Amino acid sequence: MDLTVLPPDLVDAGTQRCRLGPAVMEELRLKIGSPLLVLLPQGACLCTAWPRSDLADGYLQFQTTCTTPKLSVQMFPQPSGGKDTHDELNVNTAKLHLQRSQLKPLTCPHLKRLRVKVLVQSSQQKMTTSTRFIQELAKELLTGLYVHEKHLVNVAGAGTLVQFLEVENVNSGSHKAGLVTAETRLDLGSVQTVQRYQQPARRSPAVPLGGVEEVFASLKEMLEVPLRYPGSLKWLGLPCPRGALLVGPPGVGKTQLVRNVVQAVGAAFVTINGPVVMGSRPGESEENLRRAFAQAREAALEGPCVLFIDEIDALCPRRSASGSAPENRIVAQLLTLMDGIGSDESFIIIAATNQPDALDPALRRPGRFDREVVVGVPTLQQRFRILQSVSHSVPLSSSVNLRVLAEMTTGYVGADLSALCREAALQAILHTAQGRTEEMDGEGGSVGMEHFLSALRLVPPSCLRSSVGVSDFLPVSWERIGGLEDVKLKLKQSIEWPMKFPEALVRMGVRGPRGVLLYGPPGCAKTTLVKAAASASHCSFLTLSGAQLYSPYVGDSERTLAQLFRQARACSPSIVFLDEIDSMVGSRGDGGCRSGVQAQVLSVLLNELDGVGFKTTERRGSSKTMQTEGEEQETIQEKRMELQEVCNKDVMIVAATNRPDALDSALLRPGRLDHIIYVPPPEQQARLAILQLHTEKMPLDSDVNLKDLATQTHLFSGADLESLCKEAALLALQEEGMSVSTVQHQHFLKALQRVSPSLTAHQLLQYQLLFSSTLSCS
Amino acid sequence: MSQEALLSLRQELRKCFRSLEASRTVWGSALEECSPLLSSLGNLAEQLRALKCVELLNTPLAKFPDLQERLQHKLTQAADTVLSKLTEKMDALQVVKDSISKQVFALFQLYEQNSDFLDLRSCVARSAISPSIADMLEWLQDAEYYYRVQYVQRSSLLQMLKPDDLTLMETAPKRWASLDSPSREERISDALFQVSFFLESE
Amino acid sequence: MDGNHSEATTPGRKGNLTGSARKLKDDAADWHNLILKWDRLNDEGSTTATKIVNCRISEKSVKEPDVVEEDGSSVAASERRVNKSSQELQEECVNLQNIVDKMAHVLSKMEKMVSAEKGICELEMFQYGAKGRPAPLFQTWSTQQFAEVSSRLYEAYRQELALKQTILQELAHTANTDLSMVYLSSWLYQPYIEDSTKLLLESLLMETGHRTL
Repeated sequence: MDLTVLPPDLVDAGTQRCRLGPAVMEELRLKIGSPLLVLLPQGACLCTAWPRSDLADGYLQFQTTCTTPKLSVQMFPQPSGGKDTHDELNVNTAKLHLQRSQLKPLTCPHLKRLRVKVLVQSSQQKMTTSTRFIQELAKELLTGLYVHEKHLVNVAGAGTLVQFLEVENVNSGSHKAGLVTAETRLDLGSVQTVQRYQQPARRSPAVPLGGVEEVFASLKEMLEVPLRYPGSLKWLGLPCPRGALLVGPPGVGKTQLVRNVVQAVGAAFVTINGPVVMGSRPGESEENLRRAFAQAREAALEGPCVLFIDEIDALCPRRSASGSAPENRIVAQLLTLMDGIGSDESFIIIAATNQPDALDPALRRPGRFDREVVVGVPTLQQRFRILQSVSHSVPLSSSVNLRVLAEMTTGYVGADLSALCREAALQAILHTAQGRTEEMDGEGGSVGMEHFLSALRLVPPSCLRSSVGVSDFLPVSWERIGGLEDVKLKLKQSIEWPMKFPEALVRMGVRGPRGVLLYGPPGCAKTTLVKAAASASHCSFLTLSGAQLYSPYVGDSERTLAQLFRQARACSPSIVFLDEIDSMVGSRGDGGCRSGVQAQVLSVLLNELDGVGFKTTERRGSSKTMQTEGEEQETIQEKRMELQEVCNKDVMIVAATNRPDALDSALLRPGRLDHIIYVPPPEQQARLAILQLHTEKMPLDSDVNLKDLATQTHLFSGADLESLCKEAALLALQEEGMSVSTVQHQHFLKALQRVSPSLTAHQLLQYQLLFSSTLSCS
Repeated sequence: MSQEALLSLRQELRKCFRSLEASRTVWGSALEECSPLLSSLGNLAEQLRALKCVELLNTPLAKFPDLQERLQHKLTQAADTVLSKLTEKMDALQVVKDSISKQVFALFQLYEQNSDFLDLRSCVARSAISPSIADMLEWLQDAEYYYRVQYVQRSSLLQMLKPDDLTLMETAPKRWASLDSPSREERISDALFQVSFFLESE
Repeated sequence: MDGNHSEATTPGRKGNLTGSARKLKDDAADWHNLILKWDRLNDEGSTTATKIVNCRISEKSVKEPDVVEEDGSSVAASERRVNKSSQELQEECVNLQNIVDKMAHVLSKMEKMVSAEKGICELEMFQYGAKGRPAPLFQTWSTQQFAEVSSRLYEAYRQELALKQTILQELAHTANTDLSMVYLSSWLYQPYIEDSTKLLLESLLMETGHRTL
């Protein structure tokens, strides 16, 4: 017969009675008040057996006074409600049934000695009360109770400053439990606040972070050194480091990183959220700040403590002459508070921001934020690690290659990657749900590579979200472009090779080109070529056209361009494609016909092309790589990835124009747009290829002679040829009616008469002459 | 054997309840003596606070040399006296509490020793003139717990009082009064009422 | 009062003391009685002062609501109440005045004793020169010490009376509750009468044989 668990009786509050029916008691050979252990799924609870006052069998009520810590975590008093803690378990025990076997009678001796840890409500009480008194109090509160080793005794009901007592050990031979009597000697282990005790218990399991080991170690060291070696620090006369500033773009895991470090060290954790602290009332924000500091100080009395200020840029914007007074006051308050931390107090401040430039410079000096740690957008290897850790719990099918995924996810930060993983799992679920009938085998539950690939399309990297120059295009393969074999080769050299054969490039001591200029008559697949290059090498692809660039506001265009490059660097390797570059920048030498804006845009572009270096806040990864695991078969691949990283730090600029003569010569010098590739109009062979491509899906009559057409279409560009094919097909429909089955040669010939080539021989000559004197181009 | 054990247990229970009744009156009177002391403590705290708030130099009392210090000293001294008196009272309460605890503990030990001879059914059986043994044990345990917790609460309240913490001292009378638990007190008197026939039926 | 040095050579002797010793012993007893009387007056005064402060507080709490109530009748009623309480206040103030007057009277007696003892000192000076009496009048104290103790006691009570007079003048006129509270506690706890003052009195009594160990 099962026993139905009822909520505990109020009459029994403060005792550890377990109310049973007399029949059950007899069956279990329990006497009145004899101890028994109630085994619950979440833990165990030590009670004393008492008959129910109505003598009814089949019900069970028990007090959770002495339980295993895990069980009592649910019963910690919530700050919101001042209710009796005993009510809290009601929710959990409702509808709970117990077997007889879950009640275990114990024989308990009288304890000679026990050792307890005392949990008090606030550390202020802990400071002001003498340990001797606490010991007496603990003794009084425990007398008459049966306690079990490693159990937590809830004495909050007694209303003293002692809330809980953790029994560290009982000294009575083999028995784990016993009765505390007046003769029992009680040793006081330690005194803690409930809050501190709860912290490790309540905290969510850490989200493992990949690829930030170095930053992690550095932060951990900051926390641990003053804690572990206070003596040597004092001896060296060193004040402890006081603050660290984490800088990095959103989503790289700054906040999570701090949480992980805190958890690893076991420190107390106080957070200040910039926007939350701000109050509307004058002085309120400062008050909130002071309160948070006081809280941290209090927690620091018991051990290491981290005060974490998230989004500090919101809290401490740069003070300026015109700035508003309340903000200036907050900055001043924060500075004062930070300077006010005594060197003996073991709490450090970690702040996180993604806009370090917006911070007040006074904060960023030693003594306040001593260290600035840059957490950049993850590099290839870091992405691989992150993918490993985020997909840790996901059942991956054997088709998934995280290394390839890492290569494809340039510009993705940690948050993106976990979103990607989630999306892929979701895709897998949708997939199995749709095809439930055919796919119920073992593979159905796992996430395959194809799911990741479709998720990739849905989850764009966050550094590219809401930014300029992001374009969505269908991937184009090299094969979709007819002819132009040597142009393709050149492009592959500059874009694909660094990705695919990094070791060869490093061996030969060459670097990929910085920029490529494609020029040639309009309609000759310049844009398509770039698209193909981008889709072949999984680069971030940013594009900007003249129309996007220009705005009526002064300085706006320059800023847009600079931002484009900043983003491109953040998610490098990347390709920045500037179509119709002549319309954006023009040439400086041409005199008055060029607007000032164009000249300025040009200078920005020149600067971005070979500026002095990265800004510090854009730093990514680090020069030294962590060699963690030394598995043999991994090393070759690792090495490859490292090389790849080295070669792909840059942003490749690809520009296209059909008026190369209008460009500034400074743009064209080596080191900027150093590869200048002429994209010629298709020759006969190429035209044939193009025609074949475009007629691939057309039902052609057997008399159609593409080769013949190719010879007849001199001076036709690729676009012309495409429209020729289209025209021929339309003509066929027009003449033969809607039910026509094939396109005949005569339709092509007719179309040929209608479509005239867009190029002229004169034009081509000009293009060919343009660079022949200085550069040899194909 | 069983009958014998039952009888001796009943005898012990009677003894326990009688001494509980006696202790209860002692406890009550000792507690009553405490409340005027606490209210004067609260009063003193109030005066100390007033002294702290008033800037004597701006009052007609400015011409009296170091009046503030002298008065402060006097008041603190008075508070100390009250506190030491309270401690004496607490000692009296502790004696009461200890005697109850000792009695109840001894009773439980007796029960435990004889529990093998005592049938559980007979322990939970109630009659018109006598509550069941289980009930009586429960009441005694409850009473013991009540007095122990009361003592612990009151002594820790006094322990926290420091002459320099005025807020605590000011609120002390209120907090002292809030520790009174009439419902629990009532349960003890209920229990004593219920055992009155049992006590007489010797 | 001449030639009384012969009696003084038999210290501690019970019975009829005469001359300086007699005078000093009587003075000690007077000190004791006067201080008892003072303390009694002090307690009385404290009760009266508390009443005055309570009057003031209730007056204030009466006055405040009638600002809100524009109703004529209630204004009249509260006015009556105010009148009644102000009458009461007046009475208590007179009471307190009387008490302070009595205290002043006590103090004047004390002053007389101090000057008399000074006289005794001068007399001894005249009789025995700067060295003073060869043997103490009672146990150990020199006559000079008696005079000193008396003047110190007098000084303490003089200061206290001045404080009480100030309180008497200000008590009924202060609106500040905290300040009233300070007045009351200074009245009750007599800050200028220290523990050492009490100790002086006790040792005086012991020296003169009113108290025995």
